[in-house]
Amino acid sequence: MLREDLKVAEAAWRGRHAAELADAAATPARCEDGLPLKVVYTPLDLEDGSADVAGFPGEFPYTRGNDATGYRRKLWTISHYAGFGSPRETNVLFRKMIDHGGVPPYMALDLPTQLGLDPDDPMAAGEVGLTGTSIASLRDWETIFDGIALESTFVGTVINAPAAVILAMHIVLAQKQGADLAKVRGNLQNDILKEFTARGNFIFPVAPSLRLVTDTVEYCARHLPSFWPLNVTGGHFAEAGADRVHEVAFAFADAFTYIERLLERGVPIDAFARNMFFLMKTNHFDLFEEAAKFRAMRRIWATRLRDRYGARDPESLKCKVLGHSGGSQMTRERPELNIARTTLACLAGALGGIQLIGLRTMDEVFGIPTEKSEMIAIGTQHVVAHETGVPDVVDPLGGSYYVESLTREFEARVQAELDRIESEGGVVRAIETGSIRREIARDAYEAQRAVERGDKVKVGVNKYRIDEVEPPRRPYKLDPAEEGRRVEDVRAVRRERDNATAMAALEELRRVARMPEGSDSNLMGPIIEAVRAYATMGEICGALKDVFGEYVERGRV
Amino acid sequence: MDKRVPRVLMGKPGLCGHDRGIMLVIMALRDAGMEVIYSGRHNSPEQLVDIAVQEDVDVLGVSILSGAHMALCARIAERLKEQGAGDIVLLAGGFIPPEDIPALKALGVREVFTEGARLDDVVAFVRRASEERLPA
Repeated sequence: MLREDLKVAEAAWRGRHAAELADAAATPARCEDGLPLKVVYTPLDLEDGSADVAGFPGEFPYTRGNDATGYRRKLWTISHYAGFGSPRETNVLFRKMIDHGGVPPYMALDLPTQLGLDPDDPMAAGEVGLTGTSIASLRDWETIFDGIALESTFVGTVINAPAAVILAMHIVLAQKQGADLAKVRGNLQNDILKEFTARGNFIFPVAPSLRLVTDTVEYCARHLPSFWPLNVTGGHFAEAGADRVHEVAFAFADAFTYIERLLERGVPIDAFARNMFFLMKTNHFDLFEEAAKFRAMRRIWATRLRDRYGARDPESLKCKVLGHSGGSQMTRERPELNIARTTLACLAGALGGIQLIGLRTMDEVFGIPTEKSEMIAIGTQHVVAHETGVPDVVDPLGGSYYVESLTREFEARVQAELDRIESEGGVVRAIETGSIRREIARDAYEAQRAVERGDKVKVGVNKYRIDEVEPPRRPYKLDPAEEGRRVEDVRAVRRERDNATAMAALEELRRVARMPEGSDSNLMGPIIEAVRAYATMGEICGALKDVFGEYVERGRV
Repeated sequence: MDKRVPRVLMGKPGLCGHDRGIMLVIMALRDAGMEVIYSGRHNSPEQLVDIAVQEDVDVLGVSILSGAHMALCARIAERLKEQGAGDIVLLAGGFIPPEDIPALKALGVREVFTEGARLDDVVAFVRRASEERLPA
């Protein structure tokens, strides 16, 4: 049908259904980020040819997918975030997960580790082993991966401020195992900028923090070509309350900041961009916008990398995404419904064509999950992957008037935010002014008020409530004696090592840290030697604090 | 007679960095016309109590999502007593399993708001608690 004919036909259709359309218009629908939704989309919504612009999968701009044959070539990777308080328990869990369909470990760490504090630091009191595994020295890494070959196991680690130290532990242990470093796979989160604006696990001021990120990525580009040293996480913005446009815009703004530092350092774009990836939320609400989000991300990334940064390697141009369902979307009320939510979240990610998916467990709202609920979360992905047929066709939503239109609109909104952040001086400036934190807080406040007013339905919370008689179960509970054991472990390491070697390695680290940043003063070398000498996490971060100082967050909001 | 404006210190004791909840409460309390000070993240329990005493607040609200709420709240309650500031109303929020709430209250935490709490309920609680502490 010609476009003119189509316009006539649509006008006639509107005329025949005028009353219904007026009713629908009286209660307008919009996505949570404010994007207005029509009742129906038609070919006229694509009159600028955006369906053509989407192109074909496996080719620039990759809107329709990174691979020509999508999940037929390779299903998304099932990722599972886990980690128990003690390195020994974590070792048992990881061995079991690897046996259970090869699910690679994606390691949760406790807060003292994430903040570079040893278990016997006064600020660590009461927090050791609570949110994940406690890691104080190379000895703990050796325990966790006892019987697990690092050359053949992908190890994901959620570590940011002290990411360089964890990377050094991984390298030293891989060397001890005789692994070929070129084959060692795994990832660090290492996205420090979002710690300042969202997640809060920062140690050093912004400039040396960025230096550490640049150093780790540069080191991997030269020595660990299969390792993914930087996982830019929009998901934490979303969990902190940012709407979907902000989730993506803030993540890209951070990613581009890192890229520009690395280019200034002289690392070629195609030597590291291929190993960058994103951790985003894959959520069940506004499901089609979620799928459109992933499509739009691929196009924004590919275009920017090619046109602004001169990337040529197709692997650099492919935006790789790990999608996690959001803990903040889970409810304590009627917790079994969280399985339904994560099923749909998994579907959103699969329809969006992302590379890895991880789902929250139904009981995570009550504490660290039970093993049973971990297996349900993994099994949920198996159902979506093997029983729905969704993976059979690449980009199944491609060509949908609605989804193509959403994709285009979403991209335009993200681009506008990116332009605004850039014009206001970039991410580092936004950390100083607090502007990103304010935007996130505003989004969160609006969303919360919408739930309280009942404008946004949360099943079991503000609608369809059932007062349940069954008390919520307490999932995993850390042995309260564990903290004491961890304190004793780290003291034993300090007692038993060659102390002079450890102290000399720390002094060398301070010396290099005092040099201006650059390839010749890359901190990975001295950190690796400090780790090898069994200097502890707290000692290594302490040496860096001696030189860099600490970030002090201003309370004003 | 003018109503006294409640003074509140909101803080993040310990190492937990998640601040969505506390930011929501801060904004809601300010929208309700209260004076709210925010400590920022990574405070020791002792630091928080000392600020609360210096600022003479009516309510000290703490947010903890790391699971360390028992240990941290115990230290805060103890420090409040040491400083002779047991009249400052202690309020806790965050990721707190329901079965821990009675134990927190036994320590001296007046009220606990967790995931799913309504901001209007938090505001009403703070207003009531402030008025009880120092009637206008």
